[in-house]
Amino acid sequence: MAAMSAEQERLALSRLFHRYGFGPKPGEFEKAVKNGFEVTKKSFLIKPTVEQLGVDIAPITIDDLGPRPTPGTFANTEYQIKQRTQIKEMTLWWLDQMVTTDYSLNEKMTWFWHGHWATSIEKLNFALPMYKQNLTFRNNALGNFASLSKAMYDDGALQYWLDGQENTAKAPNENLSREFMELFTLGVGRYSEDDVKALARVFTGIQVQRTNGVVTFNPRRHDNSAVTLLGTTQVFTEDQAIDLLVARDDSSRFIYERLWYRFISSTENFPANYNRGAFANRDIHSAITDLVSSPNMYAPQFAMVKSPVEWFVALCRSLKITPSTTKNVNALIGGLQKLSQVPFAPPNVGGWPAGELWLTSASAQFRLTLAQAVLKNTDLAELKAVTPGQRVKYLQDLLGVYQWSKRTSDALTIARNEPERLFLLAINSPEYVVGA
Amino acid sequence: MDTLSRRKFLALSGGAGVAAAANILSVTDIAEAAITRPLPSGTPILVVVTLYGGNDGLNTVVPYSDSLYYSLRPDISYAPDKVLQLDSSLGLNPAMGAIKSLWDKKKVAIIRGVGYPNPDHSHFSSMAIWQSAERTQTTKSGWLGRWVDTQPEDPLLAINLGSVLPPLLVGKKRSGSVLPLGGLITPVGSLARDCSRLSLPAQGENALAARAATSLRNLLNISESVSPILKAPAPAATDLPTVNGGNAGGDNNLSQQLDVVAKLVTAGAPTRVWAVSLGGFDTHANEANAQSELIGIVSNSVARFLTQLEPSGRSKDVTVLIYSEFGRRVAANASAGTDHGTSGPVFVIGDRVQGGFFGDQPSLSNLYKGDLAVTTDFRDIYATLLEDVLKTPAGQVLNGWKGRVTSLLRKG
Repeated sequence: MAAMSAEQERLALSRLFHRYGFGPKPGEFEKAVKNGFEVTKKSFLIKPTVEQLGVDIAPITIDDLGPRPTPGTFANTEYQIKQRTQIKEMTLWWLDQMVTTDYSLNEKMTWFWHGHWATSIEKLNFALPMYKQNLTFRNNALGNFASLSKAMYDDGALQYWLDGQENTAKAPNENLSREFMELFTLGVGRYSEDDVKALARVFTGIQVQRTNGVVTFNPRRHDNSAVTLLGTTQVFTEDQAIDLLVARDDSSRFIYERLWYRFISSTENFPANYNRGAFANRDIHSAITDLVSSPNMYAPQFAMVKSPVEWFVALCRSLKITPSTTKNVNALIGGLQKLSQVPFAPPNVGGWPAGELWLTSASAQFRLTLAQAVLKNTDLAELKAVTPGQRVKYLQDLLGVYQWSKRTSDALTIARNEPERLFLLAINSPEYVVGA
Repeated sequence: MDTLSRRKFLALSGGAGVAAAANILSVTDIAEAAITRPLPSGTPILVVVTLYGGNDGLNTVVPYSDSLYYSLRPDISYAPDKVLQLDSSLGLNPAMGAIKSLWDKKKVAIIRGVGYPNPDHSHFSSMAIWQSAERTQTTKSGWLGRWVDTQPEDPLLAINLGSVLPPLLVGKKRSGSVLPLGGLITPVGSLARDCSRLSLPAQGENALAARAATSLRNLLNISESVSPILKAPAPAATDLPTVNGGNAGGDNNLSQQLDVVAKLVTAGAPTRVWAVSLGGFDTHANEANAQSELIGIVSNSVARFLTQLEPSGRSKDVTVLIYSEFGRRVAANASAGTDHGTSGPVFVIGDRVQGGFFGDQPSLSNLYKGDLAVTTDFRDIYATLLEDVLKTPAGQVLNGWKGRVTSLLRKG
């Protein structure tokens, strides 16, 4: 990258923290501005080892609930309560993880893959398979896309979600095979209907235990005949089929399109002539490094709306508030529900929307309410320690905001003697809700 | 995808994920307009019901006299004595008693085998085709959005129930508006003053930040007092159909949406197009109960809606269109469900409708790759509704489309 101006550097840093992570912790942004973009980028791009992740992730135990007791019995009621409790604990566990992690990029990519291979707890109804899926995202977040795709094929939650367990030689079910190509590896229109049918046959024979996500292969239900998939005719193993899909140029294009949509712009299209060399070996970390190193990081046209979870987590990080330890946990999760984004519950297999769809008057109202609920968990001691005249500037750095507009700066200045009011306005300002 | 997540899908993406800047209306806005400039009585109104997920056409309008239907779908077919017979070969799903009553009154047109050439089996692509009425997605506008473009500017002209604008109502120049269900609590006092400062236009601001400011400003513009119209109960339905539980409590989202539409139409809202929707039709597995339940909701909600409009006389002005992005595969899969298919029936319902069947029933013995043939292009229906309901030349909205469904609506 050519040398950046101080302003460009600040914009690139703001995007680095908010898009490739979940926003800065207190002091981080100020330090980054001092160190400069290149130095900050280097440490930001660190890819944690599995051992490091093991230390970073707070442990959580989710028991396999086993077979459901007879409906109508007390035991069944208890069982349902356990189901709900596990789901809530797991949701809080992940939110905590996003707020506390020091491997922000890996965490953000875990979130990205959750939206990409979008599977919802609302069909699964059991936490354990979703938790296992989350660990798969986590451990492959910045790894190889072919390996991730194969791991996802073996994922019980995804298989169950898309009826893989119903897909048999006798009567194939195309749900998984279609979405595997349309939404996971190639993109719509880059395969034919015959390919959907062929891949469904290759994918036959999977069985899933719903309570724990254990996947088994039943050869009697598997169709072992040769099929023609994207022009190649042979008897495919599922790994061979996935390798064939992922190796295609369309797959590189598709993953870049999705990364572009989530990290650079949901309004401007991915440029057709973009050099995708960084993803030649399907190395995710290398594609992300490429995106972070491009002048797009400070191109002014690429503003992006924070999704509700991104906004909420960034807010908690800036206040060092761990969601599970708050005194109004239900209000926080309820607030995210109203904003239509709760981890583990994407609206459909296409994942969450992006951009203006998060900017309705209704969401403006829900953000105000949720922000007030979050602020009940802090005394804002650090903000209070700053002299009122410095508070607007202090918040700009604390929150990792590129620039306050004069409009916002004026509105904040009026409120600067009342820390809670000041903070509430800052996090609901257009400059915070939408990242420049 | 299960039922619940499809419903959320509606709330979020409107089906195709097209982002669009929509006017956010409050009930108060519409109520005010209904009082100051009511829609002249007799002005036709179109209500579009979108069924997301791909409704199973063969289990909606059932070919009950065709043995192939039973052999291809051993576990998810309806016996001849269960279907609500319409003629000697076709019958409605047993859950559709309410629409059957309307059929008997000659108020229901069923257009059979509706789709488009070279069907696309992706939910997202196929819904985009239906909503844009364009086979290739060169523009990102919707057919009724382009109709809005042809009309004098009025944010109340076309309204979607829910917080997100579906691509259907996105025009090239202008768009329809959205009306979120449920009220909004608007900030008051010093918070309101703070928010109004925060929502002023800022110089050089990027488009998305400007939009965030606008959304905050709109929130403040919504009057604090909830309009008496929304507070009042929905208009009473006078002769509610009782078949199949008829008015089954309607606590589903579609009937809520239609309740609000009924109130506002009754009040005289100057709105000529309303869009509502129901999700959950993607029945890949264990279909029979799920699809029947959903199509029953559609049937009961729409019939209830029309009955609610009767006392005001507006039921004479309303025409309802019901469609889905595709039908489902003819043969069942191993999971007692069906995969994505092609053509399906479209319903057009109302006092102005010429009841009966239109278009040919696709043959079950002459399938293309396991899918039904398309016998009527969906744009024929759109063109007919544009001209005969909305009284607008279809050519400019549908790029010169020539096909029509003859005699779909009564003359006059």
